Amino acid sequence: MNHYRVYRFLTRTLHYAVLIALAVVVGFPIYWMLVVSITPAAEVYRWPLQLWPANPTFEHYRAVFTRQDLMVDRWFINSVVVSTIITVLCVFLSSLTAYGFARLEFPGRNIIFMLLLFTLMVPGQVTLIPVFLLVRSLGWLDTYHALIWPGAVSVFGVFLLRQFFTSVPRELEEAALMDGAGRFRIYWQIVLPLSRAAIVALTIFVFLGAWNDLFWPLVVLNSLELRTLPVGLTVLQGTYIQERALVMAGTVIASAPVLLFYAIFQRRIIQGVMLTGMGGR
Amino acid sequence: MATELSRTQGHTAHQRRRTWRTPMYTLTNYLFILPFLILFATFVAGPIFYSFWISLHDWKILAREQPFIGLANYINLMRDGIWWIALRNSLYFAFLTSIINTIFALVVAMLVNAPIRGRDFFRFVFYAPVVLSVAAMGIIMSWMMNTQFGIINYFLVWFGLPPVRWLADPNLVIPSLSLATVWWGFGFPMVIYLAGLQGIPDHLYEAARIDGANTWQTIRYITIPLMMPSIFFVFVTQLIAHFQVFGQPYIMTGGGGPGRSSYTVIIYLYQTAWRYFLMGYGAAIAVALALVILFFTLIQFRIFGRRSVIEY
Repeated sequence: MNHYRVYRFLTRTLHYAVLIALAVVVGFPIYWMLVVSITPAAEVYRWPLQLWPANPTFEHYRAVFTRQDLMVDRWFINSVVVSTIITVLCVFLSSLTAYGFARLEFPGRNIIFMLLLFTLMVPGQVTLIPVFLLVRSLGWLDTYHALIWPGAVSVFGVFLLRQFFTSVPRELEEAALMDGAGRFRIYWQIVLPLSRAAIVALTIFVFLGAWNDLFWPLVVLNSLELRTLPVGLTVLQGTYIQERALVMAGTVIASAPVLLFYAIFQRRIIQGVMLTGMGGR
Repeated sequence: MATELSRTQGHTAHQRRRTWRTPMYTLTNYLFILPFLILFATFVAGPIFYSFWISLHDWKILAREQPFIGLANYINLMRDGIWWIALRNSLYFAFLTSIINTIFALVVAMLVNAPIRGRDFFRFVFYAPVVLSVAAMGIIMSWMMNTQFGIINYFLVWFGLPPVRWLADPNLVIPSLSLATVWWGFGFPMVIYLAGLQGIPDHLYEAARIDGANTWQTIRYITIPLMMPSIFFVFVTQLIAHFQVFGQPYIMTGGGGPGRSSYTVIIYLYQTAWRYFLMGYGAAIAVALALVILFFTLIQFRIFGRRSVIEY
């Protein structure tokens, strides 16, 4: 018995040791980003490295906001505005459509649904060039229309929500119908609230996806003042590669909102991943 | 009384079914899917077919005419050395990253699924990098992996090891990008696995414990077999996702360097279409890429199609 206790103590200790070591390794790069961003420029390249700067400074944050060719504050607002509009549109349209496919009858429903299913198997890269040419001929290049309208379509979102909507008890909807509620009202006041977990998860992951997207804004936006944060960061990395602390300050500004958001809603986000299978690569 | 009630119910049900089918109702039903359908046709379905059409042309964005050239783009692509380099690099990166992620994330998931104190904290830390953008992640990791000033080499030297040219060595650059990507993304499959692990009923473990199985045996004979569907799912979806790698080489190796040793298919697509404005050739690259991914998807369907429902 005593032997067994020792064994359990050892495995438990090892378990914790592995987890703690792993947490340090995983957390360190994020910590390091913060540290470098507040290290004075002269000390960034100096050895031995300081795990905490002797003279922490906010000069790089000031520089990031004041340099003529950097518009981090503007990029930040752009990212917030564009991601929010995409998210609201995408979640609204996906849920509305999902409800249509889950509960309503109309001619051609199954054929249209099969078409959606088919496009889900085609990787998104195929549409990059045609959508770019389309956006160009619409005169939308270098405008937010180019980001918002293609970004508002999520076939996966429709599939996901349809699955949740079909599990809402039909009796509830039928009762509401008899009470004279219209279809839209049923969707809005019964089905949506009952599927809140899925809606919240979709909202979070669509927002994160839009906030973090790099390729599409890189391709369709040109003006400095219209860029979103990820594209702005590539400019920073390209132009100021010699000023590491400055680049890191920009990276912190781009990452802090999502990290903060994650810290607040972590339980919901992790549950959302389990529920929907979204939220990563 | 009872018949009265059932007749009323039957009547209303009948009436309702009829009213739902009147043309007026059908039209309003369409309104639910119409806005999405318009955007879907414009930005998804139409472009998928248009992509093929473009790939059959010598489509230069600034030219006045876009001559039809049949399959010439595809024939040129098959003879294009850069395409094969890009394909090889993408496959190498995708397989390496997916294999590491599939195994590593499962191990970590089992570690944080055990009933220990603070496991929510560990889950929180391990998933945190996933929410970063590829731009932020690339900048952070390229600085950490810097040969001269990177902190990883700093620690290596401190331990008396030689510094490693992570992103500067042509033979090491893809494993290095893989390593950075695992740091960034393993939290996602970890959570997918957690969902699977929580679906394994406790009584199986209890029975094994009563039979005297040790930890390793329960993992080997209960956890792994029951997790096989999740493991396959994670591996194939990871493979598809990482095959489309763009941001990491774009940011960390200056778009595929050193030389072309981390040059990937999407980087090639990006440069062809948006550096040289060869839209026809770019579309051919995109279609070829889609075919490779379709192949992976079919494997996925085969595996899941054959898999029967597990009964506990």
